Amino acid sequence: MDVVVCLKRVPEVAEVDLQVDPTGKRVKTEGLPFVLNDWDSYALEEAVRIKERMGAKVTAVTVGGEEDEEVLRRALALGADQAIRISDPRLQAPDAFAIARVLAQLIKDLPHDLILVGVQAADDGYAQVGPTLAELLGIPHATLVTSLELEGGKARVRRELEAGLEEVLEVELPALFSIQSGINEPRYVSILGIRRVAKKEIKILGLEALGLEPEGVRPKVLLERLFSPPVGEGAEIITGGVEEVAERVAEIFERGGVI
Amino acid sequence: MGLGERYDLYACFQCGKCTGGCPLSLRSPLNVRVLLREVLLAEGPEGVLQRPELWDCTTCATCTLRCPRGLEPSEVIVALRAELVESGRIPKAVIDALEATYVHGNPWGRARQKRADWMGELRVKVLPEGGRAEWLYFVGCAPSYDPRLQPIARVLCGVMEQAGLDFGVLGTKESCCGNEIRRMGEEGLFEELRQQNKEGFRASGVRGVVTTSPHCMNAFRREYELEGLRVLHYTELLAELIAQGRISPRRELRQRVVYHDPCFLGKQNGVFEAPRDVLRGIPGLELLEFSRSRELSLCCEGGGGRMWVEGVGQGPRNSELRVREAEAMGAEVIATACPFCLLNLEDAVKTTGLEDKLQVKDILELLAEALQMEV
Repeated sequence: MDVVVCLKRVPEVAEVDLQVDPTGKRVKTEGLPFVLNDWDSYALEEAVRIKERMGAKVTAVTVGGEEDEEVLRRALALGADQAIRISDPRLQAPDAFAIARVLAQLIKDLPHDLILVGVQAADDGYAQVGPTLAELLGIPHATLVTSLELEGGKARVRRELEAGLEEVLEVELPALFSIQSGINEPRYVSILGIRRVAKKEIKILGLEALGLEPEGVRPKVLLERLFSPPVGEGAEIITGGVEEVAERVAEIFERGGVI
Repeated sequence: MGLGERYDLYACFQCGKCTGGCPLSLRSPLNVRVLLREVLLAEGPEGVLQRPELWDCTTCATCTLRCPRGLEPSEVIVALRAELVESGRIPKAVIDALEATYVHGNPWGRARQKRADWMGELRVKVLPEGGRAEWLYFVGCAPSYDPRLQPIARVLCGVMEQAGLDFGVLGTKESCCGNEIRRMGEEGLFEELRQQNKEGFRASGVRGVVTTSPHCMNAFRREYELEGLRVLHYTELLAELIAQGRISPRRELRQRVVYHDPCFLGKQNGVFEAPRDVLRGIPGLELLEFSRSRELSLCCEGGGGRMWVEGVGQGPRNSELRVREAEAMGAEVIATACPFCLLNLEDAVKTTGLEDKLQVKDILELLAEALQMEV
């Protein structure tokens, strides 16, 4: 069994007042801490559990710069067998298609029974790389997967639907699944564990090595402008000390019949 | 080397003083004596590692202090936790606290950019950009972010200013001291935090560090290997300032105040007198003592990661026993000198419904009243 898991490093933005930079095309990420995309941590844990359960070779892949290797180190510390970073200066501001394109080009030549990705990335949230990658590879996929069992060249997966409904699918391998958070409980990766794999090789591949022309990874979606949504009506921003705020919130709750 | 050799566990004669003194043994299946025996008798620690009560230990170190053979049972528990951390098999609450500390520099996952927000209107020198200073005030995670504790940090700055001390802070560069991180078994992360903070201390060029929390003080004094740097808990600094007449609490506080010894200040670092000296320096204040005070002080259950992990213990919390005892002895105020103790005891006052009878205050809050400072 060969499992490929695709990872992305994203900025951690809870509690931060995000600002758009002067180009109007990107969010200022200077000074923000970066972490492994939350959904990807479930995909990675699932890959490692499959390896522990039935034996598998796990390959972790990311697209990005040197600083993005930290998510690959984490994967290696957790038990991934090899790590590959796709990096090329001509991959500036890639859209979901461009990412899926380079991943497909890499993965088509890797043995793969199972490709796992997170449902979406916490930063741009398109949720497109997984399905696009599956299409480019010509293999079946299922999104929002909340459980995954493997048997006899097939996968039995549960998908999350609207309103608490779920569906169960039987999918022929090789297949791609986008993993929903909550499918497992990702284990802790210790600093010592990460230090232990500090010297492990991470293969770095550019467009040439993948046999791709820059034309082939030209984004299909161009971002025109990023902006904060205009302030609407009906919202009240409560300011003041803790007690004032708490009093005002309690008042609103009481008036609305919540308490 | 196995844990038996590493911690000299063959010297244990199973007297049970560890379990007998353990503040958790009243409410938790945690049994330190049995644990040590199991670690020794089993081939490996695997069976012991299955015990969820390993996370109940507050690392108050009472067992270590009481052991007649000079063993360190509380450190064995930390080592067992370290094995769990390395295997990744730890409670979600511990994972969250550790990852938050790695990413944001504090176990609550609050944004680093907001670490200096406690200052409010106050102007405090941020070192080294803001110049040089003799003292570094290390605020700590909880007082940096918790609105209940932030005023305490501001009071200490006010007092130091009144005393004419030259001091500064690290601002948003300050990272968690790592005291609880090490005790949750994450030695690697502790080392990284220690390196970050030591770099901050070195760059600031100070001669001494003063902390709000006994936990930070403990880490700096005993686990940072800071050469040539004086480390004080704020109560030690205040006791000196009062003795030297550099601050003079004049306003009378006619209150019956009982002092709760934080484990990391008292038991583990022997600082019993300084906080009492400060309280005795406040005119009119009547200082009471718990039946279990000083070395015998009852742990509030906030140490060793327990601020984030509930544990499996049942029945009344130690902090609830503590506030009930305070009420029974007629105290109006429980004074303490640790952010964790303060939060836990204050919660206990609420859960026992004693809010009308009993207040929990930091020594700094009482001192501020006596100095007629704004809090």
